[in-house]
Amino acid sequence: MTVTRMLRWGLLAAFLCVPAVTAAQTAAPAQAPASTSQPAAAQDGFVPVSQLPPTEELAPGPLVLGAYGFIWVAVLVYVWSLARRLNAVQKDFDALSKRQR
Amino acid sequence: MPTPMLQRVFPVALILALVGFVVAPFLIASAPYESTMGLVQKIFYYHAPSGMMMFLGAFVSGTASAIYLMKGRPGADRLAAGAAELTVLFGLIVLTTGPLWARKAWGVWWQWDARLTSSLLVWLMFTSYLLVRKYGGPGSDKLAAAVALFGMANVPFVYISVNVWRTLHPKTTVIPSLVPGMRGPFWFATATFLCLFLALLAVRVRLGERQAELDDLYRAIDDDALEGE
Repeated sequence: MTVTRMLRWGLLAAFLCVPAVTAAQTAAPAQAPASTSQPAAAQDGFVPVSQLPPTEELAPGPLVLGAYGFIWVAVLVYVWSLARRLNAVQKDFDALSKRQR
Repeated sequence: MPTPMLQRVFPVALILALVGFVVAPFLIASAPYESTMGLVQKIFYYHAPSGMMMFLGAFVSGTASAIYLMKGRPGADRLAAGAAELTVLFGLIVLTTGPLWARKAWGVWWQWDARLTSSLLVWLMFTSYLLVRKYGGPGSDKLAAAVALFGMANVPFVYISVNVWRTLHPKTTVIPSLVPGMRGPFWFATATFLCLFLALLAVRVRLGERQAELDDLYRAIDDDALEGE
């Protein structure tokens, strides 16, 4: 009973939120024309990469280092997992041979 | 590849892989910069070979699974399981390094286009193969083998997806058309990844064999105990 009531309230809240979100999305472009000094390309939604301000340019170094670093970490974690499983099997073999003696 | 052959290949593959991973960064660093992408294109030298190893793993796992389903050879099952793990490992590398490159080159981390989505699907299929084997209970090895077959069947679609559909991902013609300065480091990195793949597969298959020996030993002890009663 309580769950049904909660679901009902949740649906009602979601239903009420939809117009609010839609209104917020439509209101945002309406404010855009206020800045008349924007270049034409920005008004179309695209800015050439060469015209981006330096703060918006993404440095490639961390991405390259991240990629190469991740490869090493992934391979080493896998090698560690193989070694751990091999050791576990070996321990079981040793335990069995002790038991059989 | 039969298991004894794989075990013989292991030391050679391991040494070549280690040497390769020491030399490859120098070759990659000395390769020319790509004109539009610059430094971030260097990810390509490990990203594309990882993708190739993912495809190779899927092919080996699928083929070995088919043999296991038809002939019931336990060795084929062990090979399939090992290759599936490597498909997941190299797939994870592809699916992580790709977005790091894409963020700079395309401006987005991810795009739901044909190549990226189908690669993710293959990776998910082989992840589910491993999950089915681990948690599926008795008989799950045959169910998992069927999953590997479907995973392998997807690989050609992943490969040709960039040529058939419009995607942000470069076409398959990129590699044959590499400039000589990039071609050498790329194929060197690919050979290094192949050696790593073979070395890891040999160890993983050996692990499967040891686990099977242990299971046989436990079974023999249980049988002896039952006979004693």
